[in-house]
Amino acid sequence: MTAPNQTSMIQMKPLSLTINGVATGPIQTPDGLMMIDFLHEYVGLTGSRLGCGQGVCHACVVILDKPDGTSEEVRSCITGAHFFDGKKIRTIEGHGTKNEQGEVVELTPVQQKFLEHFSFQCGYCTPGFVNAATVFIERLKREPIAKASVDSEIMKALDNHICRCTGYVRYYEAVKDVVMNTPGLVKDSA
Amino acid sequence: MSTTFSLRLGALALCIAALSSLAACSKATDNAPVDTRTSTPEQIARGRYLAKAADCAACHTLAGGAPFAGGVRLGSPFGTFYGTNITPDPKHGIGKWSAAEFYKTLHDGVAPDKQLYPAMPYTSYRTMTRADSDAIYAYLMAQKPAAVPNREADLKFPFNVRFAVMFWNMLFLKDSLPDASVGTSADWTRGKYLANALGHCAECHTPRGVFGQMNGAKALQGSDLGRVVPPDITPAGLVARGWTGADLQTFFATGISRQGPAFGEMHPVVYLSTQYLSPGDLRAMSVYLLGDAPPPPTPVQPGSADAAQVAAGRNTYVALCAGCHGLGGEGKPHVAVSMQGSSTLRQADPHNLLVAMLDGMDASAFPGTESLQAMPGFAKTLNDEELAQLANYLRSTWGGQPGDVTAAKVKALRDAPSH
Repeated sequence: MTAPNQTSMIQMKPLSLTINGVATGPIQTPDGLMMIDFLHEYVGLTGSRLGCGQGVCHACVVILDKPDGTSEEVRSCITGAHFFDGKKIRTIEGHGTKNEQGEVVELTPVQQKFLEHFSFQCGYCTPGFVNAATVFIERLKREPIAKASVDSEIMKALDNHICRCTGYVRYYEAVKDVVMNTPGLVKDSA
Repeated sequence: MSTTFSLRLGALALCIAALSSLAACSKATDNAPVDTRTSTPEQIARGRYLAKAADCAACHTLAGGAPFAGGVRLGSPFGTFYGTNITPDPKHGIGKWSAAEFYKTLHDGVAPDKQLYPAMPYTSYRTMTRADSDAIYAYLMAQKPAAVPNREADLKFPFNVRFAVMFWNMLFLKDSLPDASVGTSADWTRGKYLANALGHCAECHTPRGVFGQMNGAKALQGSDLGRVVPPDITPAGLVARGWTGADLQTFFATGISRQGPAFGEMHPVVYLSTQYLSPGDLRAMSVYLLGDAPPPPTPVQPGSADAAQVAAGRNTYVALCAGCHGLGGEGKPHVAVSMQGSSTLRQADPHNLLVAMLDGMDASAFPGTESLQAMPGFAKTLNDEELAQLANYLRSTWGGQPGDVTAAKVKALRDAPSH
């Protein structure tokens, strides 16, 4: 007795998008595939982490670059791959500067400060935190904040992200380091 | 002036003085703290159960505040009311009230110091027995007094004239509430008492007229109160959405059933009140709502909808909803509800569905071990047209409803001021 052919029941649709500045696709992609699986299984980008798989821990977030020049986090574990059709995203693989051989030769300030502050231990949540902090810094470049609100704004920006090793403090300190030492992010800094 | 007349006058004056002092004495007796030692532990325990069944805490206990110290905000088209302090505090609470005064407050809406507004559901509590009123009084008087001042209602003219409520009462205060179901059994009769005299279901689920009075001709047919509107809970309304007596009992006991969770203002009702009802009372309430001979639940039939709308709505569902609610709408335990059999999807009016999609929902815990995760709102992610298409896909696929939701309907709810 042959098992029913499950794959033939899955509807495939072409998906095209820009990932880390590279035009990708069209790739025939199952109709109901979640974005995290597309990244892992269809384009070989395995840096985004599947944590809870139900939209709580935010380890899986990718950055969505919107046409108006703003950026936001999207949870890839609960968002269908086809939601991103025609859109531009960045994943953890897209942050550092690479040479022609594809080797990372320079980290972004957020990544560098996370290392300097020993922000993470196991690193499972780190891709999510890097993306969240990057979106936050990009927002501050467009809309600088008052010095007095830096702490609370960092809290708001990172609050959804769950870390189970370091207790968050070093992530927050690293992000504050970036904010205070990057010109133009804080309005009334001395 | 004749001596006789003077004597008479003097006697009259004495009488008046005596009467006045008698009245003063009687007043003083009324104002003295009630001796709660006369209440038996059984009466207090019974009062505790009845206070839960009557859901006093819904309006009289602020989240994080002292029990029964008041302060809960109650919005209405007439202005804002605040639940009052009903602890035994003598100054701000009911510490100086007698059991008779307490009963008069529940029965007539007349407290010792003022005429109440019908935001206090004395329109329903009126049918409560004196014995039950006394038991609730005994329970409240056994609570810890909290010196929390009351907050005056913030009402527009002419609704800020308390006196006018007397006329309102003359017109609209009835000795019984109309039934939406038919029954004669002991369960039905007990359920009627639970739903009307205690649970005051009709206060939210019966639509109201221009003076804020319950429209008895449309008992329990659902109203437009609040952002999430109370649905039709008549037998016809319930079975049209697939409810059975067993489902209602599960819903009241646990806050979640095959038809979905209690949300909006119904969630605290389950949390503070119905979860504590005995199995017999839960059964009675479900019998009252559906009647002694409940009609069978209506199976879901596919609803008619424009194919292009449904296809577009499905794309949105797969992109943004299926991660939690499942490709087949099966939901995820403890995360997101099933779309299959959802009572909200089966409502003819898409109001609550659209509100859920626009606003999202807070994470909620239910009695026992059940919980649901927060649902994000999609007001910023999806435009009116996309939300209408999504609603039409959901309604026609799992709700048995036509795909008749328009972008204008979505826009109206998006722009509606939140209460």
